[in-house]
Amino acid sequence: MAWAPPIWFYLWMAGMAGGGYFAAYFIERYTKATDNNLLRLATYLGIPMAIIGVLLLIIDLGAPLRFWHLFTQFKLSTPMSAGTWILTVWLIIAVLLVMIWWLSNKMPGRVDGLLKLAGIIKPINVIFSALLIAYTGVLLSVSNQPMWSSSILLPALFVASAVSTGVAILIIASIASNAISKGNLVELRRTLDFLFGSSQWTIPNKVIEKLAEMDVVVIIIELITLIGYAVWLAVSSMSGAGDALGLLTTGVLAAPFWVGVVLLALLIPLGLEITSWGKDISTKSVSRAIITSSVCVVLGGLVLRAIITIGGQM
Amino acid sequence: MPIARLIDVSKCTACRGCQVACKQWNGLPAEHTKQTGTYENPPELSGTTWIKVEFREKPGEWLFRAHTCMHCTDASCEKVCPTGAISHNGEVVIIDQDWCIGCGYCVQACPFGVPHRDEEGEGTARKCRLCIDRITNGLEPACAKTCPTNTIQFGERDELIAMAKQRVQTLKTMGYANANLYGENELGGLHTLYVLTEKPSEMGLPDDPVLATNSTWAHWVSGAVAAGIVAAVPLWLLFKRKQKVQGGA
Repeated sequence: MAWAPPIWFYLWMAGMAGGGYFAAYFIERYTKATDNNLLRLATYLGIPMAIIGVLLLIIDLGAPLRFWHLFTQFKLSTPMSAGTWILTVWLIIAVLLVMIWWLSNKMPGRVDGLLKLAGIIKPINVIFSALLIAYTGVLLSVSNQPMWSSSILLPALFVASAVSTGVAILIIASIASNAISKGNLVELRRTLDFLFGSSQWTIPNKVIEKLAEMDVVVIIIELITLIGYAVWLAVSSMSGAGDALGLLTTGVLAAPFWVGVVLLALLIPLGLEITSWGKDISTKSVSRAIITSSVCVVLGGLVLRAIITIGGQM
Repeated sequence: MPIARLIDVSKCTACRGCQVACKQWNGLPAEHTKQTGTYENPPELSGTTWIKVEFREKPGEWLFRAHTCMHCTDASCEKVCPTGAISHNGEVVIIDQDWCIGCGYCVQACPFGVPHRDEEGEGTARKCRLCIDRITNGLEPACAKTCPTNTIQFGERDELIAMAKQRVQTLKTMGYANANLYGENELGGLHTLYVLTEKPSEMGLPDDPVLATNSTWAHWVSGAVAAGIVAAVPLWLLFKRKQKVQGGA
């Protein structure tokens, strides 16, 4: 198989990086937050994930040292070239934002010009986040592998999954950072103080509850998209589409599909989050349920990338 | 005049001379394979096997077909290649070995499963180049040169098509009702043409091959619409409605 395990991890991490930023931006707008803390958390998580993802991608090249040839072309008609530039722009803006926010905390009032720039590039990166997560699906669907190319809904499925995993990783990171702020892990707390340039980096419980609610909605959208994708394969006239569906639902990939995707990524988190809907997240049982659900979503997202990447090449 | 290669499967005896000639001319190493109970070997095309006779059978009859690069006019591999390493040189589709990064996208995009990464060698994608070094010097490709039954022929495309059409008629009168010419119009016209004795799908070829990038925009729209829904629906369900409910109360 030309596309080996590094590709699953890349698609998964790029999805979480873009999905996390995308979700954080809208949650902050909806909750009218002004401190940017959730978006900063998303950016701090997203940058290393994107960089690790890119390194994995380069490792999987047949001739890794020639990776720079990608930057000699601006060929938007091929998703891989488009993706190269989308990811590059996304990373540059993310790093710029982190630097500006850090400076503004360290030198309040002295970097107003830069903050204005941040105000402009922040929404631009929402567009690039959307492009980034869409591209991970388009990359596969623009091919001649029936599991990838037969249904137009594969990019939509990857987008829904990317946002769902992005929200989940934000929930885990928010609860973890709040625990660090209260706990006695002084070193970690100091690290976060340093990264954020101040000690004001906790995420209010109200915002975490909204993240959990958003995940319920996104998981339902993802479930509908998955059903649509499966039906599309079933009725598609393209040769191999039916076989591809069979491979997922009853073939050798059936176990990871039903357990890893349908249960782990969709139904278990949905059940856990619906039972904790509207409940106070500061209680231990609720926060445990939400963390468990988020871990399931994140792992399920990896299983989805893995079986689709493998299945398309079988 | 455009050139092409014609493979008339009705004449093939599966001697596999084309496989050997290709390896010899292009300096490609042999592959270690396992006995799987058939003379068909190696099991598939690879970075070091650029032409290969596929064995199929139906009751009372062998269906042999030499599988290799089609040198499409609308070549999916060329369209998806992110570094521009794949290009047309006249009719011939070539992968520039000094520029290919081995990303594997052409492997996924080809409707015929032709390019493969040379995992043991440089890691780049490799495939048949229609012996560009031979044909530009007035020779025919090694596979055609060696073929003892004239299954593989090389020449001007129009002449080969005319000859193939005649052959299809002859085969029909001989009882091959499904005989057909493959490649005249597929993907803007292929430069490996086939005279087939059965439907393409029964001989390992797609009946209706599609260019991988045909609906690229539609796939982007799918992703963009999904992103819009994922952003807007939670807003509407979780925030707008709540405000309305609160406002009403």
